[in-house]
Amino acid sequence: MRIEIEDLHVAYDGRTVVSGAHMIAAEGEITGLVGPNGSGKSTLLRTVYRHLKPAAGRVLLSGTDLRRLSPAEAARHVAALPQERGGDFELTVREVVAMGRTPYKRAFAGEDATDRDVVARALGDVGMAHHTGRRFTELSGGERQRVLLARAFAQQPDVLVLDEPTNHLDIRHQVELLALLRERRRTTLVSLHDLNAAASVCDRLHVLHDGHVVASGPPRDVLLPALLAEVFGVRATVVDHPLTGDPLIAFDHRVPAATGTGARG
Amino acid sequence: MIDTLKADPQEARSLPAAPLALALSLALLAALTAAVAWGSTSIPAGEVWAVVGRRLSGEAPRPGTDDLIVWQLRVPRALLAALVGAGLGLVGTAMQALVRNPLADPYFLGISNGASLGAVAAIVLGLGTGGVFGLGLSGAAFAGALATFALVWAVARRRGGFAPLRLVLAGVAIGQFLSGFTSYLVLQAGDEQQTHSVLFWLMGSLSGASWPLLAAPAVAVPVTLLWLLARARPLNALLMGDETAAGLGVDATRLRRELFTLTSLLTGVLVAVSGAIAFVALMVPHACRLVVGGDHRRLLPVSALFGALLLVVVDIVCRTAMDTQELPVGVVTSLIGAPALLYLLDRRLGSGS
Repeated sequence: MRIEIEDLHVAYDGRTVVSGAHMIAAEGEITGLVGPNGSGKSTLLRTVYRHLKPAAGRVLLSGTDLRRLSPAEAARHVAALPQERGGDFELTVREVVAMGRTPYKRAFAGEDATDRDVVARALGDVGMAHHTGRRFTELSGGERQRVLLARAFAQQPDVLVLDEPTNHLDIRHQVELLALLRERRRTTLVSLHDLNAAASVCDRLHVLHDGHVVASGPPRDVLLPALLAEVFGVRATVVDHPLTGDPLIAFDHRVPAATGTGARG
Repeated sequence: MIDTLKADPQEARSLPAAPLALALSLALLAALTAAVAWGSTSIPAGEVWAVVGRRLSGEAPRPGTDDLIVWQLRVPRALLAALVGAGLGLVGTAMQALVRNPLADPYFLGISNGASLGAVAAIVLGLGTGGVFGLGLSGAAFAGALATFALVWAVARRRGGFAPLRLVLAGVAIGQFLSGFTSYLVLQAGDEQQTHSVLFWLMGSLSGASWPLLAAPAVAVPVTLLWLLARARPLNALLMGDETAAGLGVDATRLRRELFTLTSLLTGVLVAVSGAIAFVALMVPHACRLVVGGDHRRLLPVSALFGALLLVVVDIVCRTAMDTQELPVGVVTSLIGAPALLYLLDRRLGSGS
């Protein structure tokens, strides 16, 4: 299944955060969303997993407006990994992952064999099968993200939406998590801070700037020095990664970009 | 992925819920029996059940003091303790999920303070003419709870929903404001008898128990339990945050609105029949969570059972600890609750989380 975002406008706290965004997350592809802080990435993703309501425009799931589905139905197709971490409520790893079954269960329904099977597989997929009884809050940051990803897997979604899943992770755990995403090959919409990670992992990138999508396409076509200067305000050059051949952005960490370079987009 | 080669500690930390619930039920039954048997006049357990059996089977009651003490005085009181305890366990559990804070209790949202103000106003201003613990007083307490609920609702509501922090701050502020009024009214109390009634109310007491008084909690507590159990999974999702809940197909805004309404109504009913009993709503879910974990499908019934058991036992202590007078139940729950809370906090912080 694919996600199409059509002329999306989202206001938050009376402020327009996303204005007129168009983008596509194609079937089986990893679609990246990059942009500086406050560019509207999280807001846009929140609209896709239905935490926020668009002021105008639509989010289509293979042609169907997501808002026309019931919340549970939408959650059976689209699973989210937001940035929030939750309180300390003595939940175990398994209980957190089992939450992924929520959209499939009616009131009072217990866990059946399918649920147990799906949850066990999701835990196995992220390598946490041997930690089911541990307290979620006792986990390290990397383990936590893997458990939350397992919860998203347990939703058996067609589309995964992840909001900066590598935040606060050390480099090894960042790589592990992104490798896991590539391995799964679901339709994935992910926002990333790390442009080099985005360049390696994503099949297609959308660049957000002040609530507008200012560039879309394969990473190599999008991540150009002029755009990096204009949108991110940094001086950089793009070379080939010596190990992988992916685009590698080499930033100049000493001097910011000269202001007013080039036109937007 | 690299997995540490550790034995799976699954379920090592949590006790299985079903046997625990069974054990709690049996303990509750024993405690109820003891509560009816013990007191200034002791009645053998067999006789207790004989009286109850005769009453339940519709047989003509044998006139006598045993029937009077068992059926008119002690059974309603024991049942009230169980219902209020169960209700407080549920209110605490629901409120902790509502504001996403494992240490929340009904005092957080001001509802208890509002109910107390209503009751104290009724006592001091002489509105509760139907006896000190008559329905007039309960009505005033419930009205106070509802008015506070409306006030907190109006102040805390933003964009059709309640942010947990805003709800807590509004509730605490309004609660403090109302307890200022309550203190003023206590000072205005005309005589010693009034002051005594007011204090008893503020500390919580089950001494007003009677069959008619049981009606409201006997409906409200089971209804709330069923309502919450039907939403056990959405409640779990709410613990992780509103965005997570939304991603799982749970409308957090609506759920929180419903939870706030429901917990306020139940708090109003509970305070109306028993005064403001401290600490039970905070302690019970917290303690139960340590034993059975945070999943509401297990936590809700276990909290209700443990709350019922705790309050029945505490009330036995209140009635029998001193020969000359009985203790307000809230005094004992505070005396037990505060050290227990410190112990739990210590354990939690000590574990490094």
